[in-house]
Amino acid sequence: MPVPVTLFFTCLADTFRPEIALSTVAVLERFDCRVTVPLSQTCCGQPPFNAGNRPEARAMAIRFLKRFAATEGYIVTPSGSCAAMVRHGYPALFRDEPIFLSKALDVGARTHELTSFLVDVLGVTDPKSDFKGVVAYHESCHLKRGMGVSAQPKSLLRAIPGVTLVDLAEADRCCGFGGLFSVKEPRISEAMVARKAECVVASGASIVTGGDYGCLMNIGGFLSRAGYPVAALHIAEILAGSAGTIPVPEAEETE
Amino acid sequence: MIPTPHLFSRRAAKALANSRLQATFARTTGKFLGARNAAFAELPDGEALRDRVAAVRDEALLALDVHLARFVVEAEKAGAVVHVADDAAMARAIAARIAKDEGVSLAVKSKSMVTEEVALNDGLASGGVVVIESDLGEYIVQLAEEPPSHLVAPAVHKTKEEVAELFASKLGEKSTGEIPELVGIARRKLREIFLSAGMGISGANFLVAETGTVVLATNEGNGRMTTTLPRVHLVVAGIEKVVPRMEDVPLLLRALTRSATGQKSTTYFSFLTGPKRAGDPQGPEKMHIILVDNGRSAILAGKYRAILRCLRCGACLNACPVYQSVGGHAYGWVYPGPMGSVLTPLLTGLYGSTRLPDASTLCGACAEVCPAKIPLPDLLLELRFDARMMGLKRPEEILAAKALALATRRAGLLEAIQRVAGLLAEIFVKDRKVSWMPGRLGAWTAKRDLPAPAPVPFRKLWRKARGIGPWTR
Amino acid sequence: MDAMTPLSRLLGRLRAATGGVAGLCATVGTLDVAILPEVGGDLVEAFTEALRSAGGEAFVTGVHQEEVLVALAERLRAVGATGLFIAEDDVAAREFAMALVPFGPFVVFSEADLRALPPPCSAGFQTVDAAVAESGAVVQSTRGGRSLLPGILPDVHVALVPGGSLVPRMEDVLARFSADMPRAVSFVTGPSRTADIEQTIVVGAHGPKSVIAVVTP
Repeated sequence: MPVPVTLFFTCLADTFRPEIALSTVAVLERFDCRVTVPLSQTCCGQPPFNAGNRPEARAMAIRFLKRFAATEGYIVTPSGSCAAMVRHGYPALFRDEPIFLSKALDVGARTHELTSFLVDVLGVTDPKSDFKGVVAYHESCHLKRGMGVSAQPKSLLRAIPGVTLVDLAEADRCCGFGGLFSVKEPRISEAMVARKAECVVASGASIVTGGDYGCLMNIGGFLSRAGYPVAALHIAEILAGSAGTIPVPEAEETE
Repeated sequence: MIPTPHLFSRRAAKALANSRLQATFARTTGKFLGARNAAFAELPDGEALRDRVAAVRDEALLALDVHLARFVVEAEKAGAVVHVADDAAMARAIAARIAKDEGVSLAVKSKSMVTEEVALNDGLASGGVVVIESDLGEYIVQLAEEPPSHLVAPAVHKTKEEVAELFASKLGEKSTGEIPELVGIARRKLREIFLSAGMGISGANFLVAETGTVVLATNEGNGRMTTTLPRVHLVVAGIEKVVPRMEDVPLLLRALTRSATGQKSTTYFSFLTGPKRAGDPQGPEKMHIILVDNGRSAILAGKYRAILRCLRCGACLNACPVYQSVGGHAYGWVYPGPMGSVLTPLLTGLYGSTRLPDASTLCGACAEVCPAKIPLPDLLLELRFDARMMGLKRPEEILAAKALALATRRAGLLEAIQRVAGLLAEIFVKDRKVSWMPGRLGAWTAKRDLPAPAPVPFRKLWRKARGIGPWTR
Repeated sequence: MDAMTPLSRLLGRLRAATGGVAGLCATVGTLDVAILPEVGGDLVEAFTEALRSAGGEAFVTGVHQEEVLVALAERLRAVGATGLFIAEDDVAAREFAMALVPFGPFVVFSEADLRALPPPCSAGFQTVDAAVAESGAVVQSTRGGRSLLPGILPDVHVALVPGGSLVPRMEDVLARFSADMPRAVSFVTGPSRTADIEQTIVVGAHGPKSVIAVVTP
């Protein structure tokens, strides 16, 4: 029986790296999910929320809830921070508004980050990916501390025959992105990402991966400017392997 | 100490540029954090211990008036004189008056953050009282005329050569500069002070309501000397230090020492109840206790109450990647790191200190180590919201947030923007990497590339792949 | 209480802040001892191990009082502690110190003048009120008019622990005292120390540089 899944593809993937969203669909379909992609979605509101701009975050969250409250079943997103926003941020945002709060709690309970969905819900142990590479896994703060997801992505990576997962020192140390922090306190952010990059390079990996594209933009951006031969790839892309750029015809689109 | 948190970024930049400081902060905080983690791993159930600490602290705060009232009654029964200072100025005035009434001209002090907060030394100095810090780290920064840079290790930013130089120039004590010798010099100099000072000043780690007892946890032995030898003992403590029952104190001490330095206990735990009694061969003739509010009752009333659980252990500092990079002075006041980023705005006003809650990625490392489970990232986030509601945010930031909300209102509009951005990127950007951004966004591209927007956003790719019409409804 | 005092104003503010919720009953429930560090069944063993890992030393007398005296005398001579400093009324400490004299050269003296410094390199002998097995702490209090100085001023602190006063945890000690707290109850775990310069631990800051516990039967 195919599992119905609604894709929450994130504004960052949508705008900067569609491969992440395409890969997410590919992986889900590989494991017998029927993926629906509501194209009316835009952004969950995390950037203004984390900056304390709740009026804007609230407006964006209300629209998100309108679009996703009508769905049923699982909502899957390739982003630890977006999943955390919906699960934990929304109830805080709507704590004094019972109607939105109950929608938020419903949607939040059904929203899963990709790797935890694969492992904890679908019971996937082997992602059946053809990806090859020496990979270091960065534990993004929102995914590890916010969602409690850490063993799952690593177990999936280890199960890929072509992937060598190397140990990354200080793997769960913050990379210094923090959304607006990276431009509000750029020097501190640079110091933090430099330290992360040092660990990545020292690990011997040629690819650094993780479950949050914001972190990967940050780490990858530093590595590329500094000229290191290490690429930053989202874990969805590794899990999908070569299937990641080809959308599979069976899934549907809704408004 | 006059708060200057608005200078955070500038000071942070200086600290980042100082490679010796960088190495020192990294080494020290790493050591403390590692020791803390090892100590907690040894406990049968560290999580349960932290849960209980949080519960005990919350219980005390829930009826703080009742427990504080009991503390006063019991302390006075034991012969202490209890004073209440609504704010810093009152605390200084009371201390100065006590010193005057008791005829004190020299006071020796053991470490207390709240005395820095209310600038007690300044208040006493203006009354002609000389105050000497006896905690070695505080003694050093006092000689150097600098503020402390860490809750538990005030002189962490100083090398032994700097300390030797300080002892030579300020005390006339030359040395080989080896650390044990320097400690020996301080021991000798301060012992003279302990024996001649008219007043010993201490803080309190806890105030026990049940018995009117002041609890002090120290390693150096200066706490015991300060509270035994001089004729007057002055205790200065924040009102939130009250705990209802004696039986809860050992648990709190276990959590405090492990969280601060990984120690199972500090060398000395002193439980002090009132002044010298008939039959006691030594001890202070008088004990004065100043209970300091200075904004705490307001915090108690509001959504930030949880910060009052703070044990001042410094674990959050040690875990914080921002503190590890910039050290304590950057925060501009007595309380640094994550707890300081919450407490400084609450005690001195968010108006001048919005940079502090902003100087965090909300990574959560602090919350993971806080023995009292204070939800520091949530409190920092709340302060950012307060800044917005108080009109303290930069207009550009609010504009950008509104622009984002507008752009994401309709998928169609967002897509149009994405298409334009993608097109511009194809024309102007090489290798899909942006290496220059205008204005504030240029802060990113100083040392990092930014990916260019994709030529076609996902939503369009998806529609094309599935053969669906051009516009979403 | 007069409504105008700073204290009553403070209490009023606090009451308003918490909504005047009465809190006389404990809400936290009893402590589950299972969350505390384990203390071994043999208290003496647990105590001596804990004290040693805190940088102190421990001797246990019993049948072999003489061996302990010899070993202790050697320790004291090794650090050059020739003065044995005791409180006036501490009979057990005086007896013990006198018993050491033959292994000397040692001189026993008491605090004739409260403000005089014991000569450099002296050892303070003191019968303590209790000892804690969990942490290796010895407990000195002012109960009964006892002096704290032998444990504060000299370079060496020799704590005589009556075996029956050894208890598992700090809670047990406080339970004994809290009904009627003396002016001071001090838990001393090993020698004083500081790491305030370059995070390098130096043993012997302001308090004693070494702590030796002698557990007597």
